[in-house]
Amino acid sequence: MKKVPYFLFVLVVVFSMLVTACGPTATPTPKAEPTKAQEPTKAPVATKAPEATKAPEATKAPEATKAPEPTKPPAATATAVPPTAVPTATIAPAKAGATKIAFWHSMGGDIGGKAIPQMANEFNASQDKCHVNPIYQGSYDDSLNKLKAGLQSKDTPAVVQLFDIGTRQMIDLKVITPVQNYIDKEKYDISDLEQNVLAYYTVDGKLNSMPFNTSNPMLYYNKDMFKAAGLDPAKPPRTFDEFKAAAAKLTKKDASGKVTVYGANFAIYGWFFEQFLAVSGAYYVDNANGRDKFATKAVFNGPEGVKILTWWKEMLDAGTMMNTGRQTVNMRNAFLAQQTAMIIESTATLRGLLDGSAGKFELGTAFLPRPDEAAFTKSGTIIGGASLWIINNRPQAEQDCAWEFIKFQASPKQQAYWHTMSGYYPIRKAAYNEPLDKEWTAKYPQFQTAIDQLHAAPNNRYTQGGLIGVFPTARQTIETAIEEVLGGKSTPQQALDKAAKSVTDAIVEYNLTMGLK
Amino acid sequence: MASSVPSLPATKRFGLTSVQQREARNFLSALLYMAPSLALFITFVFIPLVRSFVLSTYLTDPIGRPAAFVWFLQYQRLFNTDVFLNSLLRSTQFVLYTVPITILLSLGLALLGNLRLPRIAIYRIMFSVTIAVSGATASLMFMYLYHPTVGSLNYFLELLKLPAVPWLVSDKTALFSVAMVSVWLQMGLNTVILLAAMQGIPEEIYESAMIDGANSWQKFWNITLPFLSSTFFFLLVVDMLASFQTFTPIHVMTSGGPADSTNLLVFSIYREFYFNGKYGYAAAQSIMLFLIMLILTIFQFVFVERKVYYE
Amino acid sequence: MSRKTRRILTNIFLYIVLTIAGLIVIFPIYYAIDVSLLTDTEVATYPPKLIPTSFNIESYALALQQAPLARYLFNSVFQSLLVMMGQLITAGLAAYAFAFIEFRGRNVFFLVFLATMMIPWEATIIPNYLFIKQLEWTDTFQGLAVPFMATGFGTFLLRQFYLKIPKDLHDAAVIDGCSSFRFLTTIVVPLARPAFGTLAVYSFLQTYNQYLWPLLITNDEMMRTVQIGLSLLQDEERMKFNIVMAGVVLVLLPTIVLFIFSNRQLIRGLTAGAVKG
Repeated sequence: MKKVPYFLFVLVVVFSMLVTACGPTATPTPKAEPTKAQEPTKAPVATKAPEATKAPEATKAPEATKAPEPTKPPAATATAVPPTAVPTATIAPAKAGATKIAFWHSMGGDIGGKAIPQMANEFNASQDKCHVNPIYQGSYDDSLNKLKAGLQSKDTPAVVQLFDIGTRQMIDLKVITPVQNYIDKEKYDISDLEQNVLAYYTVDGKLNSMPFNTSNPMLYYNKDMFKAAGLDPAKPPRTFDEFKAAAAKLTKKDASGKVTVYGANFAIYGWFFEQFLAVSGAYYVDNANGRDKFATKAVFNGPEGVKILTWWKEMLDAGTMMNTGRQTVNMRNAFLAQQTAMIIESTATLRGLLDGSAGKFELGTAFLPRPDEAAFTKSGTIIGGASLWIINNRPQAEQDCAWEFIKFQASPKQQAYWHTMSGYYPIRKAAYNEPLDKEWTAKYPQFQTAIDQLHAAPNNRYTQGGLIGVFPTARQTIETAIEEVLGGKSTPQQALDKAAKSVTDAIVEYNLTMGLK
Repeated sequence: MASSVPSLPATKRFGLTSVQQREARNFLSALLYMAPSLALFITFVFIPLVRSFVLSTYLTDPIGRPAAFVWFLQYQRLFNTDVFLNSLLRSTQFVLYTVPITILLSLGLALLGNLRLPRIAIYRIMFSVTIAVSGATASLMFMYLYHPTVGSLNYFLELLKLPAVPWLVSDKTALFSVAMVSVWLQMGLNTVILLAAMQGIPEEIYESAMIDGANSWQKFWNITLPFLSSTFFFLLVVDMLASFQTFTPIHVMTSGGPADSTNLLVFSIYREFYFNGKYGYAAAQSIMLFLIMLILTIFQFVFVERKVYYE
Repeated sequence: MSRKTRRILTNIFLYIVLTIAGLIVIFPIYYAIDVSLLTDTEVATYPPKLIPTSFNIESYALALQQAPLARYLFNSVFQSLLVMMGQLITAGLAAYAFAFIEFRGRNVFFLVFLATMMIPWEATIIPNYLFIKQLEWTDTFQGLAVPFMATGFGTFLLRQFYLKIPKDLHDAAVIDGCSSFRFLTTIVVPLARPAFGTLAVYSFLQTYNQYLWPLLITNDEMMRTVQIGLSLLQDEERMKFNIVMAGVVLVLLPTIVLFIFSNRQLIRGLTAGAVKG
């Protein structure tokens, strides 16, 4: 049953009334009127009459001409497409009879513009039943919000890529078909998948979504600057203290005292804090990061969290840490422009940084710094990234196609391609044995650091990361807290306490409104 | 049909006098003309306003479905957490940055544009071109000007031997930096309106002032400004309302940061419902925004308008 | 110094001041054009290049390739035209009632219309958003346009113009047997053409430059408007400002051109309402 927009109906009625109201000019009887006794009563009748007679027409008219077809996939609503409209990447047209599915993703740049369309094209060419159409939806946050917005209007894709921290909310919204259903049905073998990665997306004993792209942050440094500052480029800093000392040595000032090269630059990105917290061996939320039982409060304001922000702030105050705001792109540009010697960034940007630094300086990569040496054995980085979800309000045929696509992208060959195009880890160990992948790691030894870091991380509640429904909110709250500390508005403890309180409130409200008890 | 009948005799029908009949007819035909607008206003302004209020008395789940009726809890939360108070404070600060600077700069530009010189029309177009510029494009342009490592504003400061400013990066300067984008955007309209008002000042007044030996400053102070007072009032209202509703530059440039220093009211509403899924809480904020605007408008009409000069 | 030379010197001085002021005002726009013509390496170097030397127009091609800007432009223009037509019709009709018909409650209704200008759009945006979703109007042109098709400001503006039309004309026409609707279409509208022109340009610019509403209700890549679509150029992976600025210039072009050609009309119309207000 479609809804009839009642005001459109009103509009049509009104216009029909206006037109009829103008009618009498054609019939020259203005002065003959008085004799007709019932005339004045017609006024109110006239206003109603068209309504009564035209109502059925009016209700249909807008529907036929304007109302969108809700059953069609979102792309079909664009009825008035001019012929010039060409999407960013070209996707080969669907074969006749193939089920078309939409795939929302958040991969910008070349990864989204080239790698994803190519993957989709290969999938479409590999079989006749399904046709996948990738649509870039902006950041993960944008994509999640749009998905939530689309749930009521059924404006949803069959498969969507969402970041790790959306996991709890996706499950609680009950809008997904867990991939576990298909795994069980088809006895699909997942033993080759990276255990740490599987552990992240397994909630209540079920794998809810299929990991797609995984990454974690590592230290990138400028080897040339290390040499110039008298540091050993083969021995990058491992602990917070070493990092701070190196940053001080790498910082350069001109005659007037103005800093020309900063030792380090961290973008104000909540993800970095989460990772530093995990390698420090601390939880983000209670109930073992919300993994034993759903979380009820934020606990990131412990001594480990405070230590991270204190360390960060000390370097900023010492003038060895550069602050270019929240956008990581500014940090990367400063690094590539050799205005800063060390940055923390995702393994996924490795290829971009390698290309950008080529011919300018030698790029080094190392493990994410930890508070002390002992932390290297206790914990590790969180294995997050993003995964693919099947949305359950799509027709069964679309969901089946979504699963086919998910299996396709998880194949070793596709994962190896994905790995070399982006720098995201393959989710499957077999991908490392693909010729393409072997060639890539041989060419860029820097990537070995990333793989080592992944395999060095023990699989425990720290490295599985927090699991809460309000994680996007929490991440933003942490970013605000970091800014408060860096801006000198609060001490690390004050800022984190305030943030923890706010996140706890959000968790409580979430649990209440979602009926989690 | 009856609505077009020009006149009716003075006989009584259905207990109505002809005057009453004509009134009824006029009313109906007027209603007919207003109907499209009214239908849209009712659907998209008045009913939603009521629904905003209703929504503000609920807790909702993350996709906006009411979960629990909570009376005025959301309003209580507004005033108990410093997020809303901070937004309120920041919005006020933002208005105080933008409105006076906009009006002063526009006055300057309008005075220049009002000079009687050949080809002045070109300058007038330059001064008012920002009318045609959108918030999104302006924000992107300024983002590059403010850029922490390659921005040209810091380059100009360096040329002038002034220290670099951390425009959007520091919580101390970000609000001002965003305010300047708003000033720039609003300046076009302000200049145009002031210019038109200046051209409406009768020439004879200046001439008689000249005969009395008034200098340019006296003419400006004693004639131009008083004559512009009602225009200033108009601009004050328009600019304040626009400034309180600023959203685009925040969304494009700062996302409310650093440290919530640019988390203006409208952005906060957007963030709370669209991003954080707190529909009820955001609705309470939007009702507060409505009340503030209402009070401001009434206050201005009652207290400020009295003092302005009318022709 | 003779009086004449003194005047020439003053004029030169004034032109210098005017030019400096004008350049400062349009500097951001000039700079956007400048940056859009730089190469990738030039754009990332410091000090910034204030004059384009390489005239690299590749950024425009890349901008058009990276986001379907042509499609976005079409969406924005189409949305703006729909809103414009809607506003001209609804305001044209309502203003007629206020200007020519004497009816009980006219002041009350007029206040209701003015009140819509005082209610911030953001105060009603959540229910409107939910309502449009409920109608399944997200990602449609009606969803983008219909909520804005009535205007308190436009009604006010047109009423002011209608009031200048002699009332006798109306009375005479009505006595001649012309219906009021015909009077409106055949006499009032042609006479008030300048006012309609002003409202048309104004509502076009306003709608074209909208941001928050299209941001909320368009999810489909092909239904985004230019203002939102621009953000596609600003991607996190590799923000290239020359491409972003090329997009900015492309998006600005239609409105700037519209403004330059219609500025007299627009300004005269807008100020006639404002200055008296």
